[in-house]
This record gives sequence, C-alpha cells and structure tokens, in this order.
Amino acid sequence: MIEIQDITVKFGGVVALDQVTLKIADDVVGLIGPNGAGKTTLTNAFSGFVNVANGSITVNGTNLIDLAPHLRTRWGLARSFQKVQIVPDLSVEDHLKAVLDGKGIPASQRKGAVSKALEYVGISDIRFRKGSTLNPYQRRMTEIAKCLIGAPRIVLLDEPGGGLSESEMQHLREVITGIHPEFGAQVLLVDHDVDLIRDVCASTAVLDFGKLIAFGQTDEVLADEVVKTAYLGR
Amino acid sequence: MQLLTHKSTLVGLVALLLAVILLPMFAGALWVKVLTSAAIFALAASGVSLVYAQLGLINLAQIALIGIGGWIALRLNYGTALPVTLIVLGSGILTGLIGALFALPALRMRGLYLALVTLMVAALFQIMFNAFQFPNGGEGFWGVAQKSAASIRRPAFAETDEAYFRYVLIALGLSFALIGLHKAGRPGRAWAMTRQSEANAMAAGINVTFYKLWAFALSGLLAGIAGALLAGALGQLDARSFLAGEGILLFALAVVGGAFSWLGAVFAGLLYKLLPALFNDWGLSADIALIIFGGALMHAIMTAPHGIAGQILGAFNKEKSDD
Ligand SMILES: Nc1ncnc2c1ncn2[C@@H]1O[C@H](COP(=O)(O)OP(=O)(O)OP(=O)(O)O)[C@@H](O)[C@H]1O
Ligand SMILES: [Mg+2]
Repeated sequence: MIEIQDITVKFGGVVALDQVTLKIADDVVGLIGPNGAGKTTLTNAFSGFVNVANGSITVNGTNLIDLAPHLRTRWGLARSFQKVQIVPDLSVEDHLKAVLDGKGIPASQRKGAVSKALEYVGISDIRFRKGSTLNPYQRRMTEIAKCLIGAPRIVLLDEPGGGLSESEMQHLREVITGIHPEFGAQVLLVDHDVDLIRDVCASTAVLDFGKLIAFGQTDEVLADEVVKTAYLGR
Repeated sequence: MQLLTHKSTLVGLVALLLAVILLPMFAGALWVKVLTSAAIFALAASGVSLVYAQLGLINLAQIALIGIGGWIALRLNYGTALPVTLIVLGSGILTGLIGALFALPALRMRGLYLALVTLMVAALFQIMFNAFQFPNGGEGFWGVAQKSAASIRRPAFAETDEAYFRYVLIALGLSFALIGLHKAGRPGRAWAMTRQSEANAMAAGINVTFYKLWAFALSGLLAGIAGALLAGALGQLDARSFLAGEGILLFALAVVGGAFSWLGAVFAGLLYKLLPALFNDWGLSADIALIIFGGALMHAIMTAPHGIAGQILGAFNKEKSDD
C-alpha cells in the first residue's frame, strides 16, 4: 500500500504537483495525463530528485521523503527514466551489478540475481554487451531489469513504451504484468499509451496541471468525461 | 580474472617488467634521474586522470598535493625511524585524507567552478610552502634549518639511483593496478553511473557524494605517494617546484597524454619531465616545451579527446574490432 499524502512540488512559479493525495493498493497502477501534467515530477518526488514543499509518501509505514535518495533505492524503490539512462561504456551486467552493490547482496547470490532479471526481461544474450551497442529496445529492457534486481518493493516506470514497435510493446505488456507475481513489487506505470494502460493497470490516476483529476478503476477512469476533455479528447 | 587477461593489463605488465630491468641498465646517470622524476609525475598524473576520466571533474591542485605528500614524507623521514616504504604509504594516506577534506565543500560544484576552487587550494598551499619551506633536518615541527641539510634515508634495497628508479617504477605499476582494480570493481561502476547522471546513480542506490570523495581521496593518495617518492629521489624539496600554475600544466598534460588509460599518465609524466630535459640536452630552451604543450592541448581538445594514448590504443584496436 502506497499512500501519497498532500504532495506539493513547485518550480519557481510553476506548481508541478498541487496537493496530490492518492492511495495505491493494486499491483499495477497507471498514471496518465497530458504533457507537463506532473507525472515525471511525481516519480521524481518518490526518488527524492525534487524538493517536496509539503506532504508525505508512505509505504507500509516508511515515509520515503525522510530518506536520502540513494537510501530509498536500497530500501526497495526502483525506477526507470523517461529518457533512458544507459552508460555507454558499461556492460549490461555491470548496470545490474551497480544496483546490487548498494543493496548488500552476498557475493554468492549476485550472479543468480543478475541472470534471473535478465532472463525475465528476455535479454540474457546481451549480458556482456556494452551500453553503447544496445538498440532502443535493449536499452529499455536493461533499464527494467535494473529495476527488478535486488528485491524491489515499488517499481516506477516512466513511459517505458517510448519508441518501441508493436511486437516489442506486446512483450513489454507481459513483462509489466509479470512483475508483481514474479518479484512481489507494486508497479506505478506512467504512459501516454491508453491501450497499454487499459491492458495492464487495474486502477489509474489522472493528473492535469499538477492536480489529481480522477482516480479509480481503469475502464471507469478512461470513460470519465472530465478525463476525456482533459486528456483523451485532445 | 577478467582484469588479468585484459590486453591493456598484459601490455602494461610486460612494459613494466622491461622498464624495470632494462631502463636503469641503458640510461645514463642523468637520464635515470630524469626518468625517475617522469615516473613519479606519471604516478601523480594518473590520479588527475582518474578523477577527470571517471567523473569529469577537474583537479588543478595535484601538484600542491604532491608537495604535501613530500612535506609529510620529509617530516617523517627526519623525525622517525620508520621504514621508508611505510613513510611513502603513510604520506599517501594522509595526503588522500587531506585531498578528500578539501574536496568535500567543493563537491556541490561542477566544471569550471570546481576547477577554480582546486586552483585556489593550490594557491593557498603555494603560499604555505613558501612561508614554511620543506623540512631539511632542522629542529621543531617545521624542521627547517638555515644551512647544511641533513640527508634523508632511501629504502635499504634502493640506495643507488638505479635501484631507486626501479623502486619508483614498481610503485608506479602498483598504483596503476590499484586504479585498474577500482575501475573494474564497485567504485568503477558507481563512477560510471554517476558520469551518466547523478539522478541515474542515486536511482541505482549509489551514494554519489561518497564515491566522488573516494575518487578525490584516491587521487590524493597517489599525489602523496608521488610526493614522498620525489622527496626520496631529490633528497630535498623546494617550494618553487610546487607553484599553483604547475597544477594546471599537469592537468593539461594528463589530458594530452590521455586520461582514460595508464598509458596516458605515462605520456603525461614523460612530457612533464623528459621533454624539457631533452630540450635542455639539445641546447634548446626548455620553454619550447611549453609551446609544444599548448599546441598539443589544442590538438587533444579539438581532435583527440582520448589523448595520445587513445590514438595509439585506437590504432591497435582497429585491426580487431570485434568487442
Ligand atoms: N526541473 C524542473 N525545473 C523546472 N520546471 C520543471 C522541472 N521539471 C518539471 N518542470 C515543470 O513541471 C511541470 C510538470 O513536468 P513533468 O515533467 O512532471 O510533466 P510530465 O507529466 O511528465 O510530462 P510529459 O508527458 O511531457 O513527460 C511542467 O510544467 C515542467 O515544465
Ligand atoms: Mg514525463
């Protein structure tokens, strides 16, 4: 259970998040909204990359806001970035090892943990390839594998479908749906692709100009008139 | 194990072995001295390169830190009976701590601002060295006597210049190995993630501040070791060798040589110490070296971001580009 309480984030005069309050209980929850609505800012509030003026994000009694950013990751927060973060001169395996380093996983379990995450997203074959040689799909999958290694509790995916082909999207759907059963983490999925959201998210929240304008079961939310005007009926 | 079979490591080991065996045999007395200095500054340059290549941070205070390492080594050499190798290590560790201490407030800055702060630190130490000089066997904490400098100890097995040169070369090889281990292990991964972006590193659970400090401490350790070795090589140190401007030159040469491999640091050391000595030997002004450095720096910045070492390694790797 993730409880977002009164989160407010301001950039100068821009109110990127305006007292957002949200309780997330489902295994996979969607977050949609037009460009500039504050979706990435909300993931950044989870990560501690923006100054939160007010409010709390509590997961099973732990207020993430109280922790330094890197300690949130060690606690079990995992995320991918809208702009994929792959280091050109680091191998795929080393990307995952870098995450394990901070989590104090015993050496005997590291190899297996890397294999499991890579196998799960289906990129075992590129384990030793350098970041610079990966195509956009492999980069996305490496980023997701990074999120799944080392026992995550929450996985935030910021537009993981950007730039993927139809068949790759199908694979992404399966990957996302399998995260909770396979790894036990709750997933918050940010995306513009309504079909993807409809397929994988039990419930969905909608942001517009930093305000939460709808939250509930995904089909109900997507059918909501307010949501349609703000977002779908552009 | 991956590290040991790496081509660059093997080449390095063979080169080190050949240098240790052959160079002292064939270089004359003067050139052994010059090459010893070059190796010492290569060791220090490898620290500058590490911080720059791994984190993109510019450290212009390395020469000042060499001075600090040298000061500590001289102090311990005159003031204690500790084995010289222990003094070298101790000087390195203390200098590393000092380097990290000065880096601490500067870590929130980047690029030019951080570079300027390191330059200020270097200027501060330049003033201190001038005011207090280096210990030469005198009384008291500062240990400076008006005349007749007492001589300092070298390791018993490295009393002669040739043996001391070998000692320095082995220290250089060990330092490169230490850097290699860092790059291939946990710190290397943390630095790489940070290079991509700090947000990326934090999202991977990396304590960015800690690993930046660690890089500065490691670089300071190498500077301190270099300073201690330099004290042993020259017998005494002079405040005029540790001007703030020299730190800029060493950084520039580390870039020219190539900040991304140990070979680049070797070039930096050779350019810094061997080239001016060669010009001197040929009856040319050593200032010509400065002009060449300037041209080489322009070349490096515009066309060869990986320096001379990058161009050489690039030529070798072209033949076999399967990885
Ligand atoms: N670091 C920042 N500094 C200043 N303003 C910012 C910053 N990050 C976001 N903003 C502003 O906050 C608002 C919300 O941005 P955010 O990136 O969260 O939107 P988003 O919903 O993720 O949009 P998109 O769908 O385009 O990714 C925008 O007006 C944006 O310009
Ligand atoms: Mg966004």
